[in-house]
Amino acid sequence: MNTELNRRDCLKFALTGAVTSLLNSAYANPPSTLKTGKAEHCIFFWLGGGMAQVDTFDPKRLGDTKSTPSRSGSYYASIETTVPGVRVTEHLAQTAMLMDHVTAVRTINHRVVDEHAFATNLVHTGRTISGSTVYPSIGSIVAHQLGAVDPSVPPYFLIGIPNVSRGPGFLGAKCGYIYLTDTRTGPAGFTRAADVDTARSVDRLALLEPLQSRFPANSTLADYRTAQVEALRLSGPDFLQHFQLGQEPDTVRQRYGGEFGQRCLLARRLVQAGVRFVEVSHNLGFINGTGWDTHNGGQLQQHLLIRELDTALSALIEDLARKQMLDKTLIVVGTEFGRPAAFDSGGGRGHQATAFSLVLAGGGLNHCGAYGVTDDECKEVVENPVSIPDFHATIHAALGINPHHELLDGSRPVPITDGGNPIAKLFA
Amino acid sequence: MTSKDDSMNLCLIGWISVLLVAGQAVVTAEVSVPTAANVAPVLRSATVLVEICEQGLNDQDAWPDALPTATESFGLPAFGIDQIPPKYVDDGIRGTRPSPSLIRLSAVVDLPPGKHRFLIRARSASRLSINATLVAETPFAPKNGGDGSQADTERLVPLDLGRGYRFAPRGEYEKFAEFETTGGLVEVKFEVFAGGREGKSPRRVEVGETVVAIAKSSHEKWELLTPLPEVIPYTDSAWEDYRVRVIKTMTEYSSVNRASLRGQNDPYWASRREAAKLWLASVPEIPVPLPLDRFPSENPIDRFIAAKFADVKTQKQHDLANVVDFFHEVRPLLENRCVDCHRGAKAKGGLRLDNAEFAKKGGNSGPAFVAGQVQASELLRRVTSIEADEVMPPKGKRLTVAETNLLNRWIEEGASWPELPLIRDSFADQVDDAGFIRRVMLDTVGVPPTADELRKFLADGASEKRAALVDKLLDDPRWADHWMPVWQDLLAENPNILNPTLNNTGPFRWWIYDSLIDDLPLDRMVTQLVLQHGGDREGGPAGFGVASQNDVPFATKGTIVSSTFLGVDLKCARCHDSPTGAFKQEQLFQLGAMLAVQTLDVPKSSSVDPVKLSAGGRTPLIEVTLIPGSKVEPKWPFPDFAAPGLATELALNTNDRREQLAALLTAPQNQRFAQVIANRVWQRFMGRGIVEPLDDWEKGTPTHPELLQWLGREFVRNGYQVKALARTILNSAAYQRAVDPTLREPDPLYSASEPRRLSAEQIVDSLFAATGKPLRTEPLCLDLNGRRDKSNAVDLGTPHRAWMLASLSNERDRPSLTLPRLQAVSDVMSAFGWRGARQDPSSTRDISPNALQPAILANGVMSQWLTRLSNDHGLTEVSLREQPVEAFVEELFIRLLSRSPTEDEKARYSRWLAEGYASRRIEDPQFESPPHVAPKLLTWTNHLQPESDPAAQERIFAAEKGDPPTRRLEPQWRARCEDAIWALINSPEMIYRP
Repeated sequence: MNTELNRRDCLKFALTGAVTSLLNSAYANPPSTLKTGKAEHCIFFWLGGGMAQVDTFDPKRLGDTKSTPSRSGSYYASIETTVPGVRVTEHLAQTAMLMDHVTAVRTINHRVVDEHAFATNLVHTGRTISGSTVYPSIGSIVAHQLGAVDPSVPPYFLIGIPNVSRGPGFLGAKCGYIYLTDTRTGPAGFTRAADVDTARSVDRLALLEPLQSRFPANSTLADYRTAQVEALRLSGPDFLQHFQLGQEPDTVRQRYGGEFGQRCLLARRLVQAGVRFVEVSHNLGFINGTGWDTHNGGQLQQHLLIRELDTALSALIEDLARKQMLDKTLIVVGTEFGRPAAFDSGGGRGHQATAFSLVLAGGGLNHCGAYGVTDDECKEVVENPVSIPDFHATIHAALGINPHHELLDGSRPVPITDGGNPIAKLFA
Repeated sequence: MTSKDDSMNLCLIGWISVLLVAGQAVVTAEVSVPTAANVAPVLRSATVLVEICEQGLNDQDAWPDALPTATESFGLPAFGIDQIPPKYVDDGIRGTRPSPSLIRLSAVVDLPPGKHRFLIRARSASRLSINATLVAETPFAPKNGGDGSQADTERLVPLDLGRGYRFAPRGEYEKFAEFETTGGLVEVKFEVFAGGREGKSPRRVEVGETVVAIAKSSHEKWELLTPLPEVIPYTDSAWEDYRVRVIKTMTEYSSVNRASLRGQNDPYWASRREAAKLWLASVPEIPVPLPLDRFPSENPIDRFIAAKFADVKTQKQHDLANVVDFFHEVRPLLENRCVDCHRGAKAKGGLRLDNAEFAKKGGNSGPAFVAGQVQASELLRRVTSIEADEVMPPKGKRLTVAETNLLNRWIEEGASWPELPLIRDSFADQVDDAGFIRRVMLDTVGVPPTADELRKFLADGASEKRAALVDKLLDDPRWADHWMPVWQDLLAENPNILNPTLNNTGPFRWWIYDSLIDDLPLDRMVTQLVLQHGGDREGGPAGFGVASQNDVPFATKGTIVSSTFLGVDLKCARCHDSPTGAFKQEQLFQLGAMLAVQTLDVPKSSSVDPVKLSAGGRTPLIEVTLIPGSKVEPKWPFPDFAAPGLATELALNTNDRREQLAALLTAPQNQRFAQVIANRVWQRFMGRGIVEPLDDWEKGTPTHPELLQWLGREFVRNGYQVKALARTILNSAAYQRAVDPTLREPDPLYSASEPRRLSAEQIVDSLFAATGKPLRTEPLCLDLNGRRDKSNAVDLGTPHRAWMLASLSNERDRPSLTLPRLQAVSDVMSAFGWRGARQDPSSTRDISPNALQPAILANGVMSQWLTRLSNDHGLTEVSLREQPVEAFVEELFIRLLSRSPTEDEKARYSRWLAEGYASRRIEDPQFESPPHVAPKLLTWTNHLQPESDPAAQERIFAAEKGDPPTRRLEPQWRARCEDAIWALINSPEMIYRP
């Protein structure tokens, strides 16, 4: 029997999930009606706080915070885009020129508005918490199903702050993310201390070697050594060069803009290296104080955040297109909920989940600029509602994953999405 | 004068109560001077009297007119306190103090003549008076807890009075005043508000760093005001030392407090012990096998194990001719592809393939296989069938040709299905002494021995030294630390430091800890849990009853109670009847209703849509017999385990549903309870349960059924003391067997120990303990100044053991809410299977290996702290000792791996460290004084201020950078030494139990 060999392979690729995906044969028998795409990677932006759709991708008539009472509506003027009839805010001017590669899904809706953490969990896992299990994030599911494109790199990265909503849940630590909080630091666990160069690392390993070789080959302790070798490879120069943004031409770096843009550039480099799923957090609250959670005074400088998003998103789309990777790379703009067209007493906006926008770009989808229609207050869905499971199903389908496939939580089958169906129009 | 006299009397009375309550010695007067002709001599205090006043206060942010009465009091060495002891209620569990409460510190202090400067610090309103004259005060904290954009930027950076000045750590108010005295005794009173209101909601009843410091006229330096003759400087390091004394006092005070409250229920528990004794006398004893010649042993455990081993060995003799190895080849296949449905009481088609006896018997379609007759074996027919509604397994991939061939050969050979695999022919030797002490310490207190402990144990010639060590470790308070994770996992303790959201509970870790440190018998602990009294936000068992954002919290709690204490997994029954188990959804809801003490409604969200169920054609795998909208009444759902009538016999208050439930769970007649707990204790030490899975006995068959019964009886006999069970197990030969490194999992016959990976907590605690590097993190709190409503923020303290960590809860994704030092530790723990957010209970951890585990130990921030020889690193001092390099290498191995290096290792490490060894010490290093830079306060109230994110980013970089290396070692040699330490902490031995 070659069970030992399998075990070793599992161990080696434990991080990459490749073996699991083969075993599960996720995509063996998709229902005949299900259309799936051919995207290979996903870059998932996270706009923590709740992006105001009415000030970004679903603009309405202009509101006024100065009048008494204040008049609801968009905070900024809207502009035309390359897709006739689809308008976005003036602060998304660069993205507007690329809207034929983008679909703003304007009719996302759920019921969780009180608490950021709860809604964040919902949008990441596609389910509400149950107390009986911990559901995996979409990044972990994709990592579990597909592994990395290049098995020599981990499948799932997070550029942002760790939290349980981004985690692997019942799929276990092997489907978790590798993270870094800032492009100036390397990935946690795979970046050697600043005072350890290659020579010193070699010396250290020479000291470690006799301690590792005390155990018989066919033992769990020897397995650990195999994992150590793998860890070592990943903290070596071949892998870490992907994090060297300095290798990019200055013009490219400048085009991407500030720290968020640099994260997007890093995401592109990771995808290029064969990473499957990268979540990129846009959490630079100091720009306007509140980040995307634009209550009260957070509204005043919100346009700076939007412009930063615009620069990074448009740069990423262009860059991927230039590298012939746009059709293979699905970009998603995620956020936990939206915000109402009406203003709060401090001139900002509260939370709203009855209708809000999440955005898809690239990934070989049949983009249409915008999907779904909301009412004049941007509050109710008028046409084509899209639930969170539907949205997840769309992402999975774009990546060739059957959203109805069942994962196993112990012996309990758990479908990848909670009855979600992909947005058919995007797969036409 | 009268009020002064009154308060003086009160103080004196208070001191007496200190004597009584905390049992502290009171020093007699050193100075006695008459203050007035008609009063008794005033004594200089022996302690600062701390009084907690809960009555006579309102939430109007105003000082009370009348002097509030103290409800509790104790003594401290000085005017400095940064926490108040928990309030204990009921059966010695944590309760809720009214918010606000008032804390009064008072003492008679001897001051030298002169004009002195006084500094007061407090979180909210406070006032300092000397001889009844108001000297300084701080204001009430604003009622607005803030949305995070609070403009209290002036306190983002605390006041700085120059080098040596201790910065206010949590944004406390600071006030200065001068006070002139001719010298002699003065009466000092410092009153502070704890808690208060955010709007109308109560804040946590906590104090910040609450201090009266004095800079005496002739001095510049600040010291804590104290009635004692000693000087306690008010600097960072002196405060740390002082705090240790404060915590010790409070710990003792709380312990006495709990014991005294429990006293009232002791007679009831004595009667429960009597009832257990009567029951034991009424049932036949479980016979212990006679010792076998080959395995002489006094310990009954060893007799049971030897008897089973001999049995299985005999069975094995009959099977020698077979080629197919059932345990290596057939069972894994059955387990992967068949057993999920064909197991337990409700196995599909009535066929169980999880157990030899049932499998041979067969199911509704007759026997699954006939030994030697492939054609007559239904099993083969079904796995090779081409009919869609016949083929097995019904879902997923078909069996491969290789797999069906294997089954074919197995049946042809006679379908041998031995009871247990015989992995080894004989028992391994006993582990050596060094291995034993490391193993037993990791297993009981969670950390390896110190060099001293190891050497003493090795040198000890007493024949009973192992048993003596076991006794000592069972008395070690760190026993509680090591058991914490078990209970946190089992009971899904899941507090959130921010707004409760993802199935969060209260921080009832503190109740678990109190129970463990007090050695509460398990039946009493379970009773407290089920009653759910105390403060849900303060750490009482009431916090167990909380499940935020859960549609039926008590159904969820029911699944925890049933799986933890009865080995009945009812998770499925949360929404439908168990597809394999015998239990129905209604039973879970009955249990939930008992916990809730009310009828439970079944919501739609806790059910499965029947349309969805029957979609797809085949008979649905699950059934829903409880339709949404049903109302379920409280009822004991497990009459087979304990007759419902026992509740009337045993419960303290027979009308209370929860008391009934507690009594039925913990009744001596409920042998299932005693056995489930015994099995958990067994698994903790032996690596596997006698029944697996631990939390779902319907799926398992005991490997040693008589031993299990015997352990259950012993547990009852010993008054439900986990330590008594532990003592028997730890002293057994079975526990003390050496490791067979080739075992991949625990041998169910316990012929040897298997290499067992340490838990995340053991790894982190061991690394800090062995290197001597202090674990220093941020407080686990995002509301450092206590401004938030208590329902939206808790303070989980500054961890000193790994179990104290929790989810860092930054779903908001804001840098200003990061806790980077905690994150570094949390990263290691998560890689090794710890879950910060425990949304559901778990009996076992994910122990699968992955590349992140060695990576985080090799390169992670925490490892960098542990590797760098900073001034506070334990190995820095060791490396400076006058000793040959070989002795230093020996010391490193002893401390980190609890063993001496082999000759090869010693040679290699000595060679490596010899270079520069002679000149490693720098005798008069140029000490770079630590920078005196005020830390920025980052807390909820100001976290959305534009300055906060960059400040947080700096903090992240600082955490990643770690502490500077010592200057007492020559840098090149220091680097070599760090390389050696790095290698040792990355050794697989560091994370595996010997």
